[in-house]
Amino acid sequence: MIPWGASVRVHWNRGTPREHRLGLWVPLFLVWLILLPLLLVLFPLIALGCVFIGVDAVELYETAWRIVSSLPRTWVEVKTGEFWVWVHLA
Amino acid sequence: MGDDRRQILDLLAGGKITADEAERLILAVEKSAAGSGAAASEPGGTATGTTPRPKYLRVLVEGDEQITGMKGGTTVNVRVPMRLLRAGVRLAGLIPVQAHQQLDQAFTQHGVPITLSQIKPENLEEIIDQLDDLTVDVDGKDGNPMKVRVFCE
Repeated sequence: MIPWGASVRVHWNRGTPREHRLGLWVPLFLVWLILLPLLLVLFPLIALGCVFIGVDAVELYETAWRIVSSLPRTWVEVKTGEFWVWVHLA
Repeated sequence: MGDDRRQILDLLAGGKITADEAERLILAVEKSAAGSGAAASEPGGTATGTTPRPKYLRVLVEGDEQITGMKGGTTVNVRVPMRLLRAGVRLAGLIPVQAHQQLDQAFTQHGVPITLSQIKPENLEEIIDQLDDLTVDVDGKDGNPMKVRVFCE
């Protein structure tokens, strides 16, 4: 399943009385919807390019799909003295 | 000697498989037999007889102010699904043949004598499979407090 959303949490001024917290849910499915028409146009062009450079276009699409569909449950956390950023793909 | 091994040796004797393939097949048979034995003896054993496989690769990097230039210690914590690694290694199979030579030269120049054309997707799959037991701990020395930890969970 491709990632439908991303949770982003940011804390800054950590450990101080002025600590701020921000939590966002980014609807990635809207990004996919917006990109879909563009991808439909690009697919034949990419396939043509693949023929020229000798790459199997079907395998390329399959690999790209596998990579995108493997992204859910990936997370990245960066913590410094003042900031904390956490991004989680769901 | 089991029937499976006998069949493998017959195939080898008949020249239908190479010695390397025969060795891998025998190892696979042994692994399968050991796994089924473990499953039978352990109440929590899975249907395939193996312990639950790690699902994620974790990379933890810790550095202090001297290294990052940021106030306080910095920690970078990344969790990547093993599925993503498996999908990623398939990209190696998509490198055009004409690029192999240039990449080989670049690798050799940087002290990594690799011949890309000899690396097959199944080899990379084997590497990913072996990552299950991987744990790498790197601690900085001589006043360098950087710590790197790579492991599967």
